[in-house]
Amino acid sequence: MAPLRSFADWLDARTGFRAGRAHLLEEPLPAGVGWWFVTGSILLFLLGVQLVTGVVLTMYYVPSPEHAYDSVRYITDRLVLGRIVRGLHFFGASFIVIAAVVHMLRVVLFGSYKKPREVTWMTGVVLLLLILAFALTGYLLPWDQKAYWATTVTINIARSTPVFGEQVAGVMRGGVDLGALTLLRWYAAHVFLLPAALIGFVVAHIYLMRRHGISGPIAEVEGTPQPFYPYHALKDTIAMAVVFALLLTFAVAFRVPLDSIADPSDATYVPRPEWYFLSLFQLLKYFPGPLEPVATIVIPGLVVGGLLLLPFLDRGPGRHLRQRRLVAAAFVVLGAGVVALTYLGFKDSPAHADPSRWSTLALAGREFVQDHRCQTCHRIGGAANPIADTRVKRDAEWVRLHVTDPEIIAPGTRKPPPGGMTQSQGRAVASYMYKARAGGTAAQIEGEHRTAILVYGRFCGNCHVIDGEGVKQGPDLTRAGEKRDAKWLREWISDPAAIDDLADMPAFNDKLSEEELTAIANYLAARK
Amino acid sequence: MCPGEHLPTPDSGRRRFLSGAITAIQGAIGATLAFLLGGAVVAPVFGRRRSTWWPAAALDDLADNEPTPVAIRVTREDGYRQVVERQVVFLVKTGATEVTALSSTCTHLGCRVSWNADDQTLKCPCHGGVFDRTGAVKAGPPPKPLARLQARVDGEQVLVEL
Repeated sequence: MAPLRSFADWLDARTGFRAGRAHLLEEPLPAGVGWWFVTGSILLFLLGVQLVTGVVLTMYYVPSPEHAYDSVRYITDRLVLGRIVRGLHFFGASFIVIAAVVHMLRVVLFGSYKKPREVTWMTGVVLLLLILAFALTGYLLPWDQKAYWATTVTINIARSTPVFGEQVAGVMRGGVDLGALTLLRWYAAHVFLLPAALIGFVVAHIYLMRRHGISGPIAEVEGTPQPFYPYHALKDTIAMAVVFALLLTFAVAFRVPLDSIADPSDATYVPRPEWYFLSLFQLLKYFPGPLEPVATIVIPGLVVGGLLLLPFLDRGPGRHLRQRRLVAAAFVVLGAGVVALTYLGFKDSPAHADPSRWSTLALAGREFVQDHRCQTCHRIGGAANPIADTRVKRDAEWVRLHVTDPEIIAPGTRKPPPGGMTQSQGRAVASYMYKARAGGTAAQIEGEHRTAILVYGRFCGNCHVIDGEGVKQGPDLTRAGEKRDAKWLREWISDPAAIDDLADMPAFNDKLSEEELTAIANYLAARK
Repeated sequence: MCPGEHLPTPDSGRRRFLSGAITAIQGAIGATLAFLLGGAVVAPVFGRRRSTWWPAAALDDLADNEPTPVAIRVTREDGYRQVVERQVVFLVKTGATEVTALSSTCTHLGCRVSWNADDQTLKCPCHGGVFDRTGAVKAGPPPKPLARLQARVDGEQVLVEL
């Protein structure tokens, strides 16, 4: 230890680090500073966790529409410990929002924002806004359906800004459409601009906190001041450990969601924001049409403005809530409003199709790619990769064309297998390829269920829709069993013209066997 | 409080105990984070390349005892991507059903060697490395012979493990 000590002495003589450390840690705290005053340290700790996990994630993340999704999929599914690192970052964001609100409520409860700490409070409000900006920009980065459509909504909300709406939305988009340029600038904001701003404001916030000392308990407590370290630092440390244990539990126990890859042509996707923006999202529903800016600009603007100016609106010296009934009432109303809107938002949101559940078409597609025609080229050492190892890069239209006529894609370069598949099978294979890219798996299908799914995939998908997939030429069959029973469906599919002279649908009694007809009728009748 | 003026520390034993507790807890948090993050940073280093037997050529197409360059279409994982590339190997038919496969990567600095029929050698264009038909170094800077790849004959088909 002696050489270490003499080195420390030498370093201290040159840098004065011991005095600096003492200055940082030995701040005298008034007596009676209890557990209420750990909230800021928890927040600082969580921000630190975001910083270090974020840095590791950037080693694997690629901010481009071609690669973003696959790189996040790689982090989540294949990188050792990647799932947990992403989990810490993902759930950490929610933890920070909660910790920030708790910290703010503590400051409000104790009246800590009052003179001379007005500026400390205002930097805190700015930090809250920065945290929300982090959450918003980070949301787009995985480039899945949720990211793409939630960001579409965000940018459209920005468009409702009076006078400069289009310009604001344009700067956020970085181009004419939401795309590669948007992703890059949101990434740049998330990893360069916002962290720089955050660090600056955190330093200012802590500097101001130290300059004025902490506010301490509302009513002075008898006793001598104690240094921050180790007496209060231990409380901070225990609180951090508890929060970290909870965060780690979340990261280990829960899978961070990742939808299917963003598909700008999918009009059926209904986006829903992360829970902490749900109240704002819900508010929009009550101000339709020209009133929209009330929900997007006026109300949020009033709340933020009110928060920023709080120390100037409430200037009385009394810190006790009884002396600040108006402030207490305002925060109760604000809190109740946010909670109620969030609750309504949860209730109002459509149940999302579980991305791990495979659609009828995808299940059929998985069977179709076993076809020997596909294996002519798609095999080890063949002209193309085995299908199970292929990550689809092309759009669904290309896949459909390739399946229905393999020769179209590479005319003359090699002998195509004889005969393509039907249009409906093309859709089924495309659906399967996208599901497989999203990393999902589904149980094997068998028996009559399998027969029905194969029939559906071969013939029905080109005119009908199930679970949002297919073509809306005929009726949506997602809940076909609600209106018709199996017997009627079987007769209809056999020969629609026998039931209705004007039926557009072709007869299938010459294309399907008796078992197949029964299977598809039972399958559709069971969909309720 | 002025700088230099020390706060009363009535119980230095308790103080030391609290400091120790803080160090221990923060150390545990730090170690957990370091393990998770360090692990995620270092993990790919230990990733094994998955090798597969790839069909390389028909046995009839190979000349006896002469390295024939063959391009094999190989798909491999590159982080989050899947890459398709053509890897060139030299196949040497050494018997009726025996084939050896040589990597075309020079063992000196990784350039591609090519077969020179005139003097029956594999030559590296970069720094003049020369190998014979078995891959042994004949001249130049390469430190060791060309890498031998696993090869086997399956009926008429030559398979190489890459």
